[in-house]
Amino acid sequence: MAVIELQEVSKLYGFGDATTLALDEVDLHIETGEFVAIMGPSGSGKTTLLNIIGLLDKPTHGEYVLDTRYVSRLRSGQQARARRDKIGFVFQSANLLPRLNVLENVALPLAYKGTLPVRRLKLASDMLERVGLRDKEYFYPKHLSGGQIQRVAIARALINNPTIIIADEPTGNLDSGNSKIVMELLSEIHRSGNTVVMVTHNPELTRYANRLLYMHDGTIVGDEKTKLGEVAKGIKNVYFTDESSVEEHLAHGVATIMREVPPKELSSKKPKLPKAQTKKPRTRKRSYKRSKK
Amino acid sequence: MIISDYKMALASIRSARWRSSLTMLGIIIGISSVVTIASLGEGLKKQVSEQINQLGGNVLTIRSGNVVSKNSDGSVASVNPLALFSASTLTDQDVASIQKLDGVSAVAPMSLITNSIGYEDREMNNVYVVSSTPDLNVVLQDKVNFGAFFIPEDTNENYAVIGTSIAEELFGGVNPVGQTFTISGTNFLVRGVHEPFQAGVLSTIGIDLNYSIIIPPATGKRISENRAQIAQILVQVSDQKRLDVVLLELQHELRTNHKGQNNFTILKQEELANVSDDIINAATAVISGIAAISLIVGGIGIMNTLLVSVSERTREIGIRKAVGATNRQILRQFLMEGLVLSLVGGVVGIALAVAGNFLLRIYTDFRPVITPSIILIALGTAVTIGVIFAVMPALQAARKHPIEALRNE
Repeated sequence: MAVIELQEVSKLYGFGDATTLALDEVDLHIETGEFVAIMGPSGSGKTTLLNIIGLLDKPTHGEYVLDTRYVSRLRSGQQARARRDKIGFVFQSANLLPRLNVLENVALPLAYKGTLPVRRLKLASDMLERVGLRDKEYFYPKHLSGGQIQRVAIARALINNPTIIIADEPTGNLDSGNSKIVMELLSEIHRSGNTVVMVTHNPELTRYANRLLYMHDGTIVGDEKTKLGEVAKGIKNVYFTDESSVEEHLAHGVATIMREVPPKELSSKKPKLPKAQTKKPRTRKRSYKRSKK
Repeated sequence: MIISDYKMALASIRSARWRSSLTMLGIIIGISSVVTIASLGEGLKKQVSEQINQLGGNVLTIRSGNVVSKNSDGSVASVNPLALFSASTLTDQDVASIQKLDGVSAVAPMSLITNSIGYEDREMNNVYVVSSTPDLNVVLQDKVNFGAFFIPEDTNENYAVIGTSIAEELFGGVNPVGQTFTISGTNFLVRGVHEPFQAGVLSTIGIDLNYSIIIPPATGKRISENRAQIAQILVQVSDQKRLDVVLLELQHELRTNHKGQNNFTILKQEELANVSDDIINAATAVISGIAAISLIVGGIGIMNTLLVSVSERTREIGIRKAVGATNRQILRQFLMEGLVLSLVGGVVGIALAVAGNFLLRIYTDFRPVITPSIILIALGTAVTIGVIFAVMPALQAARKHPIEALRNE
């Protein structure tokens, strides 16, 4: 059963000439229990997609069905409650509230749910046990390492027993050792039946996922099932091209590129750009790695 | 949820201690000044009413001449100071006819004889030697502390009942009862000493009883060689409910005695009390209003601090929203912060005002009184100001878009 279902979801930012198309009629089904990794260069719309899935943002067009419920047109209060009950977030950094101790941070979603203080601290304590940080309950975030902070964030994301866990580059600020611990924890959560959607720049992390989405210019240009424990092979084949050469660019400057990249039409007649183009013979190769700069 | 909001607010206020205390200072100063002024007003009202009511509410004062002219509604329209210097229009006949009236329980005519007395080699020139009947003791509710008041049979005896200040200043440490002193060269025996009276000028009795010597009426006439005039007559009415009836009868009787002339004034205690209360209330309100401006400044301080706090904690707001806080919950959190700031400021302000009141009582003649209603109003004002000025920052926080808030590092 699809826990997440996006139907032709678009997201536009800005007005008039400054309008940007961040998501371009994206259709996506995510089944319960999947671990989906989303990759793509900066500006490709991964985070926008994640925000819409996480109910932090509303699509401009299209429908979003979360757990059989249409949620794209909810009022902000209902959206907040849906977010609280269905979704757990793990961000790249500064995940925790500095003024609260670890226990209170983990218990925060329960506070908004109206759980009584004693009970929510008990639940939070149990959850910290699960991520192996029970002995740090009364520490403040500034006393924790980056890896520990992410584990606390994962504990907080799990406290409401959410339908999906959303992780936006959860290891972005961590060294490889801590990254591994955090990813193992996410993997364990996945194995216990949770749905995880994660944005990452690190292809190594795709080995924890069983599905990989590759995004470019607001569209999903690659969608492959991957094997757990193996780095996805398909990502190496995803390229995008433009017709001109580097020499031409150097000679004529940005104007050349501007001429060659036609402005996107933002009306309903949108050009079906990505999939066809990606298969064209390439004159210049740019892998996703470039965008890491 | 409210408890956790409160805890969060406290934590956030604590985390920016300096800023929060400076913010609170505005409210503290405002509340403490408003409370101090209100309590001074309240104290003044109490002092005045004590002075006025030391005779009891059932006493009418009749003065010679038209000291004040009144409007039709009974309020004082103007004061006629010259009336104080004219020869008294009150006579013994007036006293006699008042005594015959129904519902009058005591009539005490008062004549001012002289201002100087002597004892051994000492002299006092700031006293009131007043001749009156033993009824004065009834009107004054028998406030003789040592000895006794003279009785009707003593009407021509050289007896005196003296005020407590005279006892202290003239006789020093000696118990004056039984001592003799001189008035206009005549020896007088101290029969009694009054207990201390509330000093004041607003009483209808018009003189400071602590500096008064009361002597019998015939004696007064004798030593003044019959020149003593009745300055005022205190009339005690047996039933306070019939005060107005007796007043009308008095008026009628005196007009008959005075050949239809209205050359006297009858004063009620409560009239004076009302007038003075009105004046004090108005003055207190005006000064408190000025002090309340500082509360508004304090409120703006709260708003400023919260605005800074909201922009500093944008990321926090984003995280809170991401974990499921609704706009209303965020709004409540920041309102609570404003509330706590102003409430703590209010409580500290009241504590300061209480301390200030103690100092005022110790070092000045003021007797400020803090009533529960003053405290409630002060706290209410503080809380209202805190919440009102927190609304704007709280709305700003609540309306933040979660994504933009999260993007803020």
